[in-house]
Amino acid sequence: MTEQERTALASLLYQLADDDFLYAYRGSEWLGLAPHIEEDVASSSIAQDSMGHAAMYYQLLEELGEGNADALAHVRLAHERKNSILVERVNGPGYYMEKPEYDWAFAVVRNYCYTVAKKIRIDALKSSSYEPLATAAVKINMELYYHLLHWQTWFTQLYQSTETARQKMDAALEKVLYDFGDMFDYGEHGQLIEEMRLIEGQGILLDRWYQTITPLLVELNVTLPEMQMTRNGRDGDHTEDLNDALATLGEVYLIDQTATW
Amino acid sequence: MYDATQLFEPVQLTEEEKLARFKERIEQGEKIEADDWMPAFYRDTLIKLISMHGISEIMGALPEKEWVPKAPSLRRKLGIMAKVQDEMGHGQLLLRVVEDLMKPYGKTRGDLMDDLFTGRLKFHNVFHMPTRSWADAGMIGWLVDGAAIITQTNMLGASYGPYARALQRICAEEVFHAQHGESIIMALAEGTSEQRAMIQESLDEWWESLLMFFGPASKETTGTSKQDVTIAYKIRTKTNEELRQNFFTKYVPRIRSLGLVIPDPTLRFDEETGQWEYAQPDWTKFKTIIQGGGPRSKERLDLRRTSYENNAWVRDALAETKA
Amino acid sequence: MNETFYHEFEVFSKRTPNAAFTHQFSLLAPNKEMALLMAQENFMRREPVVDIWVVKREDIRGLSPDEKQMLQRLDNKDYRTTKGYGYLKKKWRHYEQQMLDEKEIMSWQGGDSK
Repeated sequence: MTEQERTALASLLYQLADDDFLYAYRGSEWLGLAPHIEEDVASSSIAQDSMGHAAMYYQLLEELGEGNADALAHVRLAHERKNSILVERVNGPGYYMEKPEYDWAFAVVRNYCYTVAKKIRIDALKSSSYEPLATAAVKINMELYYHLLHWQTWFTQLYQSTETARQKMDAALEKVLYDFGDMFDYGEHGQLIEEMRLIEGQGILLDRWYQTITPLLVELNVTLPEMQMTRNGRDGDHTEDLNDALATLGEVYLIDQTATW
Repeated sequence: MYDATQLFEPVQLTEEEKLARFKERIEQGEKIEADDWMPAFYRDTLIKLISMHGISEIMGALPEKEWVPKAPSLRRKLGIMAKVQDEMGHGQLLLRVVEDLMKPYGKTRGDLMDDLFTGRLKFHNVFHMPTRSWADAGMIGWLVDGAAIITQTNMLGASYGPYARALQRICAEEVFHAQHGESIIMALAEGTSEQRAMIQESLDEWWESLLMFFGPASKETTGTSKQDVTIAYKIRTKTNEELRQNFFTKYVPRIRSLGLVIPDPTLRFDEETGQWEYAQPDWTKFKTIIQGGGPRSKERLDLRRTSYENNAWVRDALAETKA
Repeated sequence: MNETFYHEFEVFSKRTPNAAFTHQFSLLAPNKEMALLMAQENFMRREPVVDIWVVKREDIRGLSPDEKQMLQRLDNKDYRTTKGYGYLKKKWRHYEQQMLDEKEIMSWQGGDSK
């Protein structure tokens, strides 16, 4: 592997790791606050699984010589992060310890759209030319069935319920699509990532996402808003939400990076 | 439609006979089930006890949850997420038990939430307290859950079957909680001097709350105590004070072995009486705390209320779906 | 139509392919699809599970206290059990054969003949 190729590989791994890390974090903020207790317990497992997936990707980066997995997760600044904008967005206004006005419709739509994207990416990664990544993808795939069924059920049921719910879901879908443009983008090293066959082309994956999500939307009589890309998180261009998230996620770790916690 | 089975005598007993039969079953160690006849005071005692227990688990998720995203490594993040998830899960188990008990009164989970918001339903003193540092997250897991294990295992043989079965599940998970807490504390105890200072500070902060956790020794202390009824009807076996003494016996040596100083210079084991002597916590403060006057009572209740109200539309929406 | 979000479901699960379904606990959910999504993570987060049933509690027909009288029976049914045929042991001994008792017969699984 040339130095350039190694950089491209690391860039893809950072995208995958940071995506699941932030996604799991946003999920974990819902702990104790979900619409009902049984759902609280169930969705926490999804956040845990996703944090577990992030840990696997950070481990791959550690093995690639990028540094300690915990340091990679906790120390890197916002402009070094490669996650998509969608996963860094807050669950709603308000600090999670005080008066968070979290929006369950946004949670359901974000999680459903993200999980479909994740499944498509994981399938594409199963035949990655980078063997350790292909192996990880096969493992992660096992846990995605439940995640997908979970969010699809919520998505479908809320859309099929009251007018209020439908309006909230539509508004949430608007918000999600506004940020979705960088989801399948591979960032500045995209061309090399594809040439190295680390993963299939971003255009192919994006098409698959549309193909997957459209039939259900048609059934539910939902029009998909236009997808936008206002920033590209894959190139380290992020919102203020990410700065706040990272400050919280690293608060204790950064007290003493050399200590054992 | 005519029903010839009515030729059989219905099982009709007078209230006195029912009560006598009920007491006899409890004496014989039989389990009372949700559909069985039970006297109102037994049902009401259980409702009060288990709803407080259940809602404390739900409220108890909040202080620890504050440290979930802040947990200082990927593994710690996973561990504490699983732990807080369990607290919610315990709340689920216990609320289900109460919900069945409340059925004859036509009350549901929604009513329990209302009782919480209006202050009729109280939760444990420890969950009114702030968590100031990561060490507090460890301290909750180690000692608060340690105290909870002692009170909960005391009721594993409870005469009310559904409660005993819920406690079986809960206690099995509490073993993981205690070890999760020990693991955090151990890492800090073996860490830098700042880390050690963190846990000492945390112990100083939590000690009084831990003593309060077991409740007053008798009703003379605070004016209310259900412990006599709960012991008579085999819901629990030991008194508050016996449980507190057990806690000292199990945990004082462990705390000291890590080089931590318990913030009570009078704490000592009296060989003659076989009892630990200790400085009483401020029981007036205890009363104020559980009545919602603790340092974080209002914020935690607000948090629970906000999330409950914000999500009302979700419950309304799915109430319309086909069950 | 439902009119409430809170329906009671009883949860059953199988631990291994050969095990019988066992009752786990109950949960509240608005419908059976949701109940199914909640079941595993609420009650079987840590143990192996190969199958799950969720059953709406109101669909379960149980026994009322009066109906429990149907469970009573006389202790005169040894003709139904091996207890009623114990004398055969002695008979077979007379023919210098061993009695094929439950322990023996159950040990034949897999067609193994000793």
